[in-house]
Amino acid sequence: MGLDRRGFVKIVVGGVAGTLFTPVIWKSLDDVSIWSQNWPWIPRLNTGEVKAKAALSKLCPAGCAVKVKTVGGLPFAVAGNTANPMSKGGVCPVCAAGAQLMYSPARVKSPLKKVGEGKFEAIKWEDAEALLVEKLGVLKGQAGKIAAISGDETGTAGEVISGLLGGLGNAGYYMMPSEKFVAEKGVKLMGGSGQPGFDIAGADLVLMIGADALDSWGPTVANQKAFAATRPTGAAATAKFVYAGPVLNHTAAVSDKFLPVPPQATAAFALGLANLLIGAGAVSSASDFAEYKALAAKHTVEEVEKATGLKAESMKELAALIRAAKAPLVIAGASFGQGAGALDFVAGASLNVLLGRVGGGMTLLPAAPRAVGGVGASDKDAASFLAEVSTGKAAPGALIVYAANPAYALPQADDMAKALGNIAFKVSFSTYMDETAALCDLILPAPHPFERYDDVLNPYGVAKPTYLVGAPVVKKPVMDCKDPVDVLLGAAGKLGLTLGFETYADVIKAKAKALGADFDALAAGGIWNGEPKGGALNLGASALAKVAPVTLDSKTLALAPMSNQAYGSATLATPPANLLAVRNTELLGKDLFVQMSADTAKKAGVAEGAKVKLSAGKGEMKARVHLNEGVAPGTVAVLMGFGRSAWDEFTKGKGDNVYKILTVSDEAGTGLKVWAGSTVTVAKI
Amino acid sequence: MDQKLQELWGEVMEEKKQCKGCGGALPFLIGFVAAVIAGWVLFPNLLYSKKVQPVRFSHKIHQEQGMECDSCHAFRDDGSYAGLPKNEKCQECHADVVGSDPAEKVYVEQYGQKGKEVPWLIYQKQPDNVFFSHNAHKEIECGKCHLDVGKTDTPPVYYENRLSGYSKQTMKMWQCERCHAEKAVSNACHVCHK
Repeated sequence: MGLDRRGFVKIVVGGVAGTLFTPVIWKSLDDVSIWSQNWPWIPRLNTGEVKAKAALSKLCPAGCAVKVKTVGGLPFAVAGNTANPMSKGGVCPVCAAGAQLMYSPARVKSPLKKVGEGKFEAIKWEDAEALLVEKLGVLKGQAGKIAAISGDETGTAGEVISGLLGGLGNAGYYMMPSEKFVAEKGVKLMGGSGQPGFDIAGADLVLMIGADALDSWGPTVANQKAFAATRPTGAAATAKFVYAGPVLNHTAAVSDKFLPVPPQATAAFALGLANLLIGAGAVSSASDFAEYKALAAKHTVEEVEKATGLKAESMKELAALIRAAKAPLVIAGASFGQGAGALDFVAGASLNVLLGRVGGGMTLLPAAPRAVGGVGASDKDAASFLAEVSTGKAAPGALIVYAANPAYALPQADDMAKALGNIAFKVSFSTYMDETAALCDLILPAPHPFERYDDVLNPYGVAKPTYLVGAPVVKKPVMDCKDPVDVLLGAAGKLGLTLGFETYADVIKAKAKALGADFDALAAGGIWNGEPKGGALNLGASALAKVAPVTLDSKTLALAPMSNQAYGSATLATPPANLLAVRNTELLGKDLFVQMSADTAKKAGVAEGAKVKLSAGKGEMKARVHLNEGVAPGTVAVLMGFGRSAWDEFTKGKGDNVYKILTVSDEAGTGLKVWAGSTVTVAKI
Repeated sequence: MDQKLQELWGEVMEEKKQCKGCGGALPFLIGFVAAVIAGWVLFPNLLYSKKVQPVRFSHKIHQEQGMECDSCHAFRDDGSYAGLPKNEKCQECHADVVGSDPAEKVYVEQYGQKGKEVPWLIYQKQPDNVFFSHNAHKEIECGKCHLDVGKTDTPPVYYENRLSGYSKQTMKMWQCERCHAEKAVSNACHVCHK
């Protein structure tokens, strides 16, 4: 019996029929459908015990005391730390995205050495550290040849960096511009010394001149908690908040009163207010009261109206509110946290002196003991330093960049980036591939705040000495990174220097000890507070005499950079999760919107949605126009944090960078570079 | 022409006779039975790969030492289930080799002392999109869902589905739904998929 064609077909048909009575088809279909849900790029959940560990998140400028939630030891979320008396369970929008940012694709994954324009190769840590030592060693002992730029004004890391520079015969440790830098200069002009503090929680009227205290100025979470405490549910508010600034920002939106004041007129506004208060009987025992009174008298309500557009009635109402308050407090600053002059600060702070609130509302913090010997930061900021580099006045051969992004976040950003090109060797200690790291010759990946020890001493704005410490949340960083301070201490040892420490953790322990604080308690989420030092201030009349009169130019508009903490900071691009919060009247596709009132737009010859070019000096940026009646007259408001050229796919190439059109000028009588009063021309394209 | 037709017809009839000789429905039955056998016997062997646990863990020996199930498989304070113990727990007894079993040496030298967690193969591992609470199911006997490993000296072979990548013992959704239905527990999506 042979098997012919027909017989074979019968077997096959029988086989197919038989298969239907087996799990082959049904099970295969089921398993293939499950297989199709398991692509390798789908993230897998980490499993294990869920814990919450106290941490210090330095992603925002002030630093947030938070609780990091972990599963199986890896962070997955950030919550407020209710046990911390400063944050009281609050967390800022940047630090809230901290866990996500730990796994960001923008993180530098290993040491990188530049091998061509925009090209890097991964190298081993020992090779990277050897290269750093070699480059610094060549320049050791040559004054002015090694410099450092830091964006961390609260960490003890700065002491190590300045100590290292001192040991190498250099003193060029420059801070990125900040309110603290300017405010300390202002205090000196008022005959005092130290970092000023502001007791918002103890005030019953808070006048914020420019300072965006409820979103981006000072310890924002603590400020917000203080504000919230004055708004008890179901009861009347116990304090009034007034915002006088160029834009109806987040602070202005919740304040009791918003007074639109262009950025170049804040000093004139404060002096106009002083004039009204003195006219109503305010006196001060300060030695320069007579001089101050005469100066203020020039700032009549009519003059203030010319400079700011504010009606006399608004000013008088505000003066009446202040007179009625028992504990008024004035906070002056730039609406975007930098670039204001010391005179703007003095004008605002002089109101506290006039109201007798120095020592109560406005405090002065004592100098903190150092853990590492050295001279500290230069009295010039990074913008002034790089301006000197661009002209050849300063010619360093090596630059250390720590927690800073000067190529993006300095005025005239394009010029600053070019100035960096004049420095032969640049090393960036950066957690993320930012614009400055992309220009450097060596990138040394720094740990994320949840992967390292770090500390925060006296974040600008706190009313009393404050110290926080953070310990690593994870056992091992998720990238191949090393603590920058550990690397610098190691380099110092190889260069024959003795700074007295081997690790950053040891430095912080010494700092805590010097302050009389308990390191372990701080690392567990605690806080150390000291007492303000007291002391009187004068009214700064001789300095204020140099306040330049506000000149109005019909061809230009005042530029008001607008900060929104959720959209990142000078050192951090917008966290991907927060991009969802960007409105389509702020960014549409890749177009950033600049904002101005309808009247201003009409005078500038532009309308809603128009494409425009903003120019100032050599810088220019492109955007669209959005009409917003919350912008002061004659002012164009531009959101900060956009126009990134590095970072990741989420932030790169969206909008334009307002820092490009901020223009630097010299402040009369203080020697400071300022850019808060920048002006721009707006042209339709 | 007629003659050619007759010859062709004859060939067809001859072929038909030969086919009857093949057994009629027999080839069909052979194919049917072969497929059924292949489908129920060979297919599962092809579908699953066999794996053994990285360390031959003996539940029997540990029970003989007086340990209870919840000595290692315990609920945490927050009510979540710890599942398999980590090195921290194992090293309470096995920081160094304390017995003569070679499996213990493997654990101590290759995992515990190197600070490396043992990549245990989990027989009932559920997909990430399933939220399973042991606490909510603690009244049900472990053996209803898990292999009975309590008295084994060598862990059972782990069968991994070559297509889906899951264990053979991973419970399917219909099994969850059936039990929920039988116990009058909601089968709404959000009960398991958070």
